[in-house]
Amino acid sequence: MNTAGKRILMAKTGLDGHWRGPTVVAKALRDAGFEVIMIGMARPEEVMQASIDEDVDLVGLNIGGHVDVAVRAIGMVRESRPEVPIFVGGVVPPHAKRKLEGLGVEVYPPGSQLPDIVAAAIRLTGAA
Amino acid sequence: MSTNNKQGGDWKSISGLPLKQFYSEHDIPQAYRERLRADPGEPPFHRGAHPTGYRTKAWRIFQLSGFGKPEDENERIRFLLEQGETGFIMEHDRNTGDHCYNVDHPDVVARREDVGLTGAVMQSVRDIDICMKDLPLETSYGHAGGAVVQHAPFALAGYWTVARQRGVDLARLPGTGQSDFFLTYLGCVTKQQVPTAAGLRFNADIMEFCNEHLPRWVPVSIAGYNGADTGLNAYQELGALFANAVEYLEEIKRRGTMPLEAAARACGGVNFRASMDLFEEASKMRAARLMWQQLLQQRYGITNPKVANLRIHCVTAGSRMTYQQPLNNIVRGTVMALAAALGGVQSLGVSGYDEALSIPSEHAHQMSVRIQQILQQETNIQAVTDPLGGSYYVETLTAELVERAWVFFEEIQEQGGFLATLDSGWLHERAAENQSEDFRQQESGEQVIIGVTDHKDDISPFEVDGFMGVDDAYDVALERLHDVRRTRYEAGAHRALKALESVCRSDQNIMPAMMESLEAEVTLGEIGDVYRSVFGDWATPIQT
Repeated sequence: MNTAGKRILMAKTGLDGHWRGPTVVAKALRDAGFEVIMIGMARPEEVMQASIDEDVDLVGLNIGGHVDVAVRAIGMVRESRPEVPIFVGGVVPPHAKRKLEGLGVEVYPPGSQLPDIVAAAIRLTGAA
Repeated sequence: MSTNNKQGGDWKSISGLPLKQFYSEHDIPQAYRERLRADPGEPPFHRGAHPTGYRTKAWRIFQLSGFGKPEDENERIRFLLEQGETGFIMEHDRNTGDHCYNVDHPDVVARREDVGLTGAVMQSVRDIDICMKDLPLETSYGHAGGAVVQHAPFALAGYWTVARQRGVDLARLPGTGQSDFFLTYLGCVTKQQVPTAAGLRFNADIMEFCNEHLPRWVPVSIAGYNGADTGLNAYQELGALFANAVEYLEEIKRRGTMPLEAAARACGGVNFRASMDLFEEASKMRAARLMWQQLLQQRYGITNPKVANLRIHCVTAGSRMTYQQPLNNIVRGTVMALAAALGGVQSLGVSGYDEALSIPSEHAHQMSVRIQQILQQETNIQAVTDPLGGSYYVETLTAELVERAWVFFEEIQEQGGFLATLDSGWLHERAAENQSEDFRQQESGEQVIIGVTDHKDDISPFEVDGFMGVDDAYDVALERLHDVRRTRYEAGAHRALKALESVCRSDQNIMPAMMESLEAEVTLGEIGDVYRSVFGDWATPIQT
C-alpha cells in the first residue's frame, strides 16, 4: 500500500463538539501514513472550499446532528470536486445510513473498528 | 471502557487497578481500616449520608430530555413525569444554547436541520415559559438547562423569571442548572465560548446569587460524567472533579462574599458517571463521599455534616451504549444503574437504549424510567444502606480509588489547578490516551463489547431506527425570534442589555442584570454578543 502523499480532509458538519471520534480516527489514519487535514466544525461551503484548497484525495465527515446537513456538504463537494470520494462517521441512525449509502457514500457508525476505517481510506484513495 | 480487561493471566478493573482472585481482610490498606467502623451517616460518609438511605428517600429518577420546539419538550417532560420520573430536566438546543447564538446566526443557519435535535430552542423568556407550562416547579425538582457554563446565567435567569411570574417564591424554589466546565471545555468543545476565567466568574456569581436569593437551588453541579465519558478513568474522574471544586472554593474564598461553608454546600451536589465495571463504579461513589469529607476537613476545616455530605447525581455511560443490537443496551443500562444504586447515589438518569442512534424515543425514555422503577420496587435494593459495606473487595477498591484519585488531584494542582489543565489541554491528552488504549484493546481482543467486537449476529425482530424529532423547530424558532424583536418593549430591552454589558465589564455580580435582561425579553444571541465583545473566546487547546 502507498498512502504517502495521500491527503484526507476531516470535518464535522454539526456545531456539536464531541471530538473523541474524529481525533481517534485521524490518529489511526496518520499512523497509516496519510496526511490528515482537520478543519473541525465546518459549514457545507467551508467543507467544499477546503476540499479544493487542500487538494485532498478523500473527504471524511463526522456527523453529530441531522443527516441533511451532511447531505448538503456532500452535494457541494461533489459539484466542485466530483472525483473525490467521501466517507462518513458519527451518530448515523439506520434511516440516515440508508440515505447516505443511496448517495454512494460509505458510512461508519459508532462501533466501527479502526482497521476497517483505515482499510476503507486505503481503498477509496487508491493507495492499495 | 472494557468489560473484560484481562491481559495474560492478569485481571484488571476498567481503570487498570490490578484485581486479585479474591479479597481478604488483610488486603484492605491499614490506614483505611479504622473507617470500616463508621456507619452510614457518620464521617467520613463513604457509607452514605444517612443511616436510613433509600428507605426514607428513594433516589430521584431524573432523565435528560428535550428536543424540538419548547412545546414538544414540555410534552415529553410531562410524559416522563406521568411515567414516574421524580425530577425533570429541560434541555436547551445545543446549537443555539451552547454557543449563545440565536437561530439567525450564520453558523446556525448553515446547519438549520440540526436545530432542535438535542433540545428545545429557547431564545427568550417567552420560549422558556412555553417549555415550563404546567410543570410542578415547587413540588418536583427541576433542572433549568444551562449545563454549559456560558449558557447557565441565561437559562437560570429565564427559569427563575418564569417561576417568579407564576408567583413562586424563589426562596422556596428547588432545582439546579449544572453549569459544568467538563462539558464544553473537555467533552464536547463548543466552537466559541468565553475563556475559563470568565466562566469561573459566572459560576461564582451564580453561587453568590443563589446564596442570597435561592437557598434551595443547587447553583453548580460539577459533572465528572462529562470527563469520564470523554475518556478519564474512574480515579481521574474523581481527582479532576475535586480539583474543580477547589477552584470554586478558592474563588469564593478570594472574594470573601459568602461563608465558605455555604460555598462548599453549594458545590457539594455533583454528577458522576456509572459505567460497566459494576464494583469499581459502586466503589467510586463511596470513594467520592470519602474524598469530599477529607477535602473539606483537611483543606478548609469544614466538618459540618450537612456540608460534608456529598450528594451525587449519576448518569449511566452514554458511550457504552452500542449502535449494534441496541436492545442489549437495556441490560447495560440496568447494570450501570445497579452500580449507581449500590454506590448510594441520590439521583439517577439511565441512558436510552437508542443512545448511539439519536436522542431517546418516547419508548427508550420509558424504559429508562422502568429500569429504575424495577430496581426500586422489585429487588429490595432500597432496604439496606450501603449493602456492599464491609466487602473486602469493595472496601479495598474504595481505598485504592481514593489513593489514586488524590495523586491525580495533586498532579492537577501542581500545574496550576483544574482550569489551567483545561487551558493547556493536559486533561484532553489524558482522555485521548485512554481512548486510543480502548481502541487498541478492542482490536487485540482484550476488550469485548457484545454485538460490536463479538457475537455480531442480530436476530432481533424489532428495528430500532432512532428518534426522528420534529422538522419545524428551526422555522418556528426563527418566527418567534422575529416576533420577540417586533413586539417587545425595545427601549427597555436595549437598556437592560446595555446594563448587562456594563456589569460584565465591571466586577459586579452579573445575575441581577441577567434577571433584568430576561425580564426585558433580551434574547440569547444578544447576550452572547455581549460576552463575545467583553470576554473574547477561549483559546481551544485541541483540534475539534
